[in-house]
Amino acid sequence: MRSCRRPQPDGAANAMSTHRTQEVLYETEAALRLVDHGLDGLREERPDSDHVAPTPPSMDGGLSALPAILERANAQILGVLARLRESRAALETTALEKLASTHEKIQEVTSATEDAAINIMDACDRATQMVDELDAIDAEPTPDRERAGTVRGSLRDELFLMMGALQFQDITSQQLAHASSVLVEMEKRLIDIARLFDTRVDTDVFSTRVAAAMPDEQTYDPNATTRDSESRQALADEIFTTVRHNAA
Amino acid sequence: MKFLVVDDSATMRRIVVNSLQRIGFTDTVEAADGQEALARFDASIQFVITDWNMPNMSGTDFTRALRTRPEGATVPVLMVTARSVKEDILTAMEAGVNNYIVKPFTPQVLKEKIDALLPAAAA
Repeated sequence: MRSCRRPQPDGAANAMSTHRTQEVLYETEAALRLVDHGLDGLREERPDSDHVAPTPPSMDGGLSALPAILERANAQILGVLARLRESRAALETTALEKLASTHEKIQEVTSATEDAAINIMDACDRATQMVDELDAIDAEPTPDRERAGTVRGSLRDELFLMMGALQFQDITSQQLAHASSVLVEMEKRLIDIARLFDTRVDTDVFSTRVAAAMPDEQTYDPNATTRDSESRQALADEIFTTVRHNAA
Repeated sequence: MKFLVVDDSATMRRIVVNSLQRIGFTDTVEAADGQEALARFDASIQFVITDWNMPNMSGTDFTRALRTRPEGATVPVLMVTARSVKEDILTAMEAGVNNYIVKPFTPQVLKEKIDALLPAAAA
């Protein structure tokens, strides 16, 4: 409780919630310092009970001030508790919501990779059957070239479908970048909290590491998803059509 | 017809280029972000397909910069992106994007959008 450092302003887009949390924590620290100071004063006024015999309250000027000191300390502690509650609420509404959405994103990554793997395996099965069919056509005394051409066309479609299924990689990498950014932000908040309780925490080392680990927010969309692409495409088409129609 | 394909994901560039080849467009140039795309763009490029979220320069900033260049003022720009909220789509339009494809896309959607913009590209 001996140091009191104002939080540095954040430059990131999500700075508002982080900044507010830091502000609350700073105010909490300031209130705790006041309590600390009051208790120090109380210790100074109180005689050492190990070496001096107890004095009746009526005869002791220091102890007569005790109720007032306790009342002040109580008010300060109540203030601290209010701040802590506010701090907890701020953490709940920002950090927990972000963590919940991150959890959903990671679950979606799991299902998207599984869906892509199943689609690719299904396409592989169908492609293998087509190769077998081409072998059978070749083995015929008079190979049906037209049928073979049709099968080859279908085979190309299947191979192309496999390639298209790999689009999940781009979207899931954006989802993981978002998840990573949330984890880095949580780490930063924990460092800020740790710093309040222990001034020996070397925030510079953490800050450098955190800054290096933070993904470039320009490179990913936090809302990227593999789901509902048809309805999302329909929305884009509708907006383009409407805006063009209104402009015409 | 020469296409410029801009995406920071090598996988996506490959998918788009292969899709283009499949529908008959084999002349392609690739770039990994908006800055590189601006450097690679010249009068020979007749069609641009770009992602939005990229390092150094986004797809929307690239399109805005492209529209200030005489040779890029009217070239069709098709945005292929995971972003799909209304505000994003309007921002892309304001930047000068001619049409919009939401990832993940099908080859059919890509072909439809290219076909719709081909008259502008040929002009």
